[in-house]
Amino acid sequence: MSHDTPAAPAGGVFLETQGIHKRFAGVHALRGVSIALRRGEIYHLLGENGCGKSTLIKILSGAQPPDEGRLILEGTPLAALTPIQALAAGVETVYQDLSLLPNLSVADNVALSAQLVRAKGRLARRLDRPALRETARKALAAVDLPTADAYLDTVVGDLALAERQLVAIARAIATRAKLVIMDEPTTSLTRREVDNLVRVVDGLRQDGVAVLFVTHKLDECFAIGGQVLVFRDGQCVAEGPIRDFSKARIAHLMTGKALDEGRYRTAAPAPRVLLEVEGLGREGRFAEVSFRLNEGEILGVTGLMDSGRNELALALAGVAPAERGRIAIGGRSVALRTPADAIAQRIGYVPEDRLGEGLFLDKPIRDNIVTAVLGRLRGRFGAVDGARARALAEDIVARLKVATPGVDVPVQSLSGGNQQRVLIGRWLTIEPRLLVLHGPTVGVDVGSKDTIYRAIQELAAAGLGVLIVSDDLPELLQNCDRILVMRRGRIRAELDAATTTEEPLVRAMLAEEEATA
Amino acid sequence: MNTAVGTLPPTSAASKPPARRLRSRLEKRPELFTLGLIVVLGGVVGAINPDFFQWGTLFDLLRSSTVTGLFALGVFVILAAGGIDVSFTAIAAIAMYTTTKLVVTEWPEAPVVLVFAASGLGGALLGLVNGALVHLLKAPSLIVTIGTQYLIRGLLLAYIGTAWITELPRRMEGFGKLALVEFQSARGLHVMLPAFVLVLAAAALLTWWILNRTLMGKAIFATGGSIAVAERLGYDLRAVHLFIFAYTGGLAGVAGMVHVCSNRLANPFDLVGTEIDVIAAVVLGGARITGGTGTVAGTLLGVLLVVMINNLLIMAGVPSTWQRVIVGGFILLAGALFVIRRPR
Repeated sequence: MSHDTPAAPAGGVFLETQGIHKRFAGVHALRGVSIALRRGEIYHLLGENGCGKSTLIKILSGAQPPDEGRLILEGTPLAALTPIQALAAGVETVYQDLSLLPNLSVADNVALSAQLVRAKGRLARRLDRPALRETARKALAAVDLPTADAYLDTVVGDLALAERQLVAIARAIATRAKLVIMDEPTTSLTRREVDNLVRVVDGLRQDGVAVLFVTHKLDECFAIGGQVLVFRDGQCVAEGPIRDFSKARIAHLMTGKALDEGRYRTAAPAPRVLLEVEGLGREGRFAEVSFRLNEGEILGVTGLMDSGRNELALALAGVAPAERGRIAIGGRSVALRTPADAIAQRIGYVPEDRLGEGLFLDKPIRDNIVTAVLGRLRGRFGAVDGARARALAEDIVARLKVATPGVDVPVQSLSGGNQQRVLIGRWLTIEPRLLVLHGPTVGVDVGSKDTIYRAIQELAAAGLGVLIVSDDLPELLQNCDRILVMRRGRIRAELDAATTTEEPLVRAMLAEEEATA
Repeated sequence: MNTAVGTLPPTSAASKPPARRLRSRLEKRPELFTLGLIVVLGGVVGAINPDFFQWGTLFDLLRSSTVTGLFALGVFVILAAGGIDVSFTAIAAIAMYTTTKLVVTEWPEAPVVLVFAASGLGGALLGLVNGALVHLLKAPSLIVTIGTQYLIRGLLLAYIGTAWITELPRRMEGFGKLALVEFQSARGLHVMLPAFVLVLAAAALLTWWILNRTLMGKAIFATGGSIAVAERLGYDLRAVHLFIFAYTGGLAGVAGMVHVCSNRLANPFDLVGTEIDVIAAVVLGGARITGGTGTVAGTLLGVLLVVMINNLLIMAGVPSTWQRVIVGGFILLAGALFVIRRPR
């Protein structure tokens, strides 16, 4: 954006999709998507979680084939792309996890793909090491990273997140990508790092590269400019230059509802203190964290990815215990050294990554619900009492309104929202006093969000303390009493959810560090 | 470029206290730890028994390292790709025994090079089966290779033979005796370095070249780093799986033949059972059991360390039953250094 010229006009169509459909076990993820991506243009793919954004990226990058429809790549119709075809054609995808190999050097991560493409994917080839380093140097220079030998040889796992992101972009440059897809690239960057990223991306655009941002940060989209593609329920519901849209209109298109949803939170917390945390710390993760949570209160915790919010949640769950400080529940100090300690104190923890950390996908709903209380369900000879387990599971399923034919079907047959309800339901079995919810609606559709929010409010009304750790700001504003903002491992702000807005939250999350000394 | 966001410790080594700096150095170059153990062990043994410091000891070590070393190079390649193999000893046994039997009965005058090639090729074919199974079944390679180890060994003993072959063909026997260096020591002992140690040297060079100078090598480490990411980036996982297991099988076939020539005996009951020694050597050489790391030099040092413990502690008067205790202790020490302190 340093140039005054309003940039080269958009070129010809690089990649087009026609009538793409994709279904997963009962979910119709994409329903006839037809879009065209032109060279030298920036696109913002917007939509709620579960609207089909990620599926579309996977099809564009060759990770998955479409069930119906076709792709037209530089004029050539194709039924599907393979990863190496997509790469060879110049489609480079920077997933949220960046697709970097943590054990390889910066030079390898940046420039190996280029060599792989040149070898057409065949591995019985000599490595052209001078070319590898030369490619890596040029690409790193283009994103303002160091090009010294020491840096080229640094193992990527040792780099900070923002740097890894630039390394991933450098890889796109090295493979001479014509379309760069970036999946939520700015989620955990500071403002300065975002500006740097935007500058790099604009450079790509001026070189005639098409850039597809997948994001839900509307403000950034307006700042960057370009085209929007709004998705809802597997369809592209609107497209066009972003300046022709207002924020409210985009939000309306994304949700199918009017923007301001209003607060779910209507009740007030009880006057009794449930949880008291004092000077909690864990080396290198968070420090001096102190707060109180009353019975029936809903407290939000937010911050960037590496602000320490996740680690705080894990500490309260006993997964990664705190090393310093005091935790008291109901006025009594407790030690939470293992998840079993937390369960014994009747703290329920619903992890963010419900697939990786929480649910046994191929097991029935019943088994998933009763797993935290197996000890209690033990019959006379140590075996689990099947009838009691079933009764408990059915009760929970009814309370949380899980849409399912019965408790014997495997959890993987449920939608994301219902899976999440099963996971929350598991913790209701321990009759919790405190529920720690980590990103309770990540990957959940709008309708399920609504039921999950209602369930959370009912739990709080019943006297539970609820701690929601999330980066979904509207979610916190709609559900919490107070919101704590963490940055660099410490609590930096406490805001009243009823009266504040997203602006001060974001400011507290992103504020630059120089002033803290 | 600004460094880490948050209160995380900076990544540069400069600001760390010396102890932590040493650890971080060791983490980057774990083979230094192995080298350190070798030096300490050699010093201790030498202090107890001055006979340790002579050419004969070194030659003995190299001779004993050859078979384990060939195995270890193969295991390292598979470990680097995030897999594991426990069938290589069975592959070596069947390849060496079958080849020897065929040579004895069909073509006693066969050139040694061809004999080795045949044994290596047979091993590679069996390895290919491992690779195909791992890829097609998407099964953990440990399970697959436990299965094939039993299968191969059963086939060998049931169908090919259980008798020792003690009368080796002339050329094979000659190769086993062929000396690279030979002299009489000051005490009148006959000291010799067998030529077959060159097989290990050649295999080490080849392995190093493949891992560091070819796309396949990078693909192997990429697969070991993250199989999902490697697939997404377009690395041909089928080719990687087939190659690593075939390569290891081939090295195992060659190792089996070295074993026959150096012992002047083909015993179908040999070799199987030494897998853990070999895997221990590779892990002591700094390759992480979870894949994606390690070096050829480290692997060779690991082999040297294990062979030293197995062969030389006797010189220091340590009973052979204690050798395993020491290997186990070293592995736990290495584990404590390289595994535990990784933050979760």
